[in-house]
Amino acid sequence: MIIIGEKINGSIPSVAKAIAERDAEFIKNLARIQSDAKANYIDVCASVDDDIELETMKWLIDQVQEVTDTPIAVDSPNAKICAEAINFCNKPGLVNSVSLEGSKIDDVFTVIADTKWECTALLCDDCGIHPTAEARLNVFEKIMARAKEYGIDPSRLHIDPLVEMVCASEEGIKMLVEVISEIKRRYSNIHITGAVSNVSFNLPIRRVVNQAFTVLAMNAGMDSAILDPTNKDLMGMIYATDGLLGNDEYFIEYIGAFREGIFGNKK
Amino acid sequence: MAKIDEVKAKVEAGKTKLVPGLVQEALDEGSAAEDILQAMVEGMGVVGEKFSTGEIFVPEMLIAAKAMAKGVDVLKPHMASDGATSLGTCIIGTVEGDLHDIGKNLVAMMVESAGFKMIDLGVDVTATKFVEAARENDNVKIVACSGLLTTTMPALKETVKQVKDSGLNVKVLVGGAPVTPEYAEQIGADGYAPDAGSAAVKAKELARG
Repeated sequence: MIIIGEKINGSIPSVAKAIAERDAEFIKNLARIQSDAKANYIDVCASVDDDIELETMKWLIDQVQEVTDTPIAVDSPNAKICAEAINFCNKPGLVNSVSLEGSKIDDVFTVIADTKWECTALLCDDCGIHPTAEARLNVFEKIMARAKEYGIDPSRLHIDPLVEMVCASEEGIKMLVEVISEIKRRYSNIHITGAVSNVSFNLPIRRVVNQAFTVLAMNAGMDSAILDPTNKDLMGMIYATDGLLGNDEYFIEYIGAFREGIFGNKK
Repeated sequence: MAKIDEVKAKVEAGKTKLVPGLVQEALDEGSAAEDILQAMVEGMGVVGEKFSTGEIFVPEMLIAAKAMAKGVDVLKPHMASDGATSLGTCIIGTVEGDLHDIGKNLVAMMVESAGFKMIDLGVDVTATKFVEAARENDNVKIVACSGLLTTTMPALKETVKQVKDSGLNVKVLVGGAPVTPEYAEQIGADGYAPDAGSAAVKAKELARG
């Protein structure tokens, strides 16, 4: 499972405060704990006004890179900012994200085409988020056509089928499972990602729903996710699920993560 | 660290990809194949001990044995003969009426890692088959039988009895969830082991006996 650590995001009030006060230690600590928790990428999202977004991204990325080698996921709703922020990173990471909206794909794919950067692609377009599996798969194929034009291999893409609050759905996550399975059937080496915690919005004891969702989505083919890697219960569930799905021979990764205190009580 | 010590350390850590290369390097450095094998056996001894004390889990023991097996493959062409360093042959199986094999396989793996040649008769093995195998194979030192059900404990008793009555100079080692040291003694077994790591230690002890 590819873990994208979500904790450095200016939409979280404590992070917004740290950004406003340029509290470097606060940001560095978030980078450190996520890296220690085996995050594969550390997401960096400024969530500030447009005119200071790029400089804020640079400051955040600098703080992260001072304490860890874990690659960065440059995260902005503005694809042009993502494309610019790539230049601040010491090594290839992940662009989070593009979609079929506006010129996002061109803005980013032009820059990453001949690099090792990976990219998250959301299955939405100028019409927004489509409600049926068929329509989302249609968006998916259009994204794949663009990727092909730019020579970007499917293995560099993390497709986000868009995880929405489930409590208003009459059939749970059936549609999402259909989208995930179908994408994996068409491209076995592509990654499927998602913002796990969206699913439980407006339900009590959200963590239980998040865990159940993660297991089911992994079973359908999700192999990447943006979440809080310091959440031990969720991380344990992910390692256990990878083991049960046969993605972790002899449960060696599971045991290793346990020994490192990623979940369970550290000895 | 000398290459041979590194081989031992990497076997213990279950580094299946690194061990073959390190064994080759140790050979190139001039270490004798027998000494390298001995180092790996010692490494597995540590692994068995850690498993017995609950410090490591089954998968860690499995990959350590796998790492050693890969190292042995590299050593084989350099060994004088198969029998030269062997502690002897060990016949192993789960007794008649009992189909459990996970624990028995772990024991077989660890006993083999300790330096025995293993003949695995599988599961649901009659007492007669144990005796025949002990008679027909060369240099048999140990017959190891496992019973995992309370209902197959009589079959365990029968197996021990027939092996002992055969007059063959072999030692019988027993084990399995319902088996206790007291029961083992009562049915006339030469040894009892509660887990795979201990079984390897016990087998060595009995073979030297």
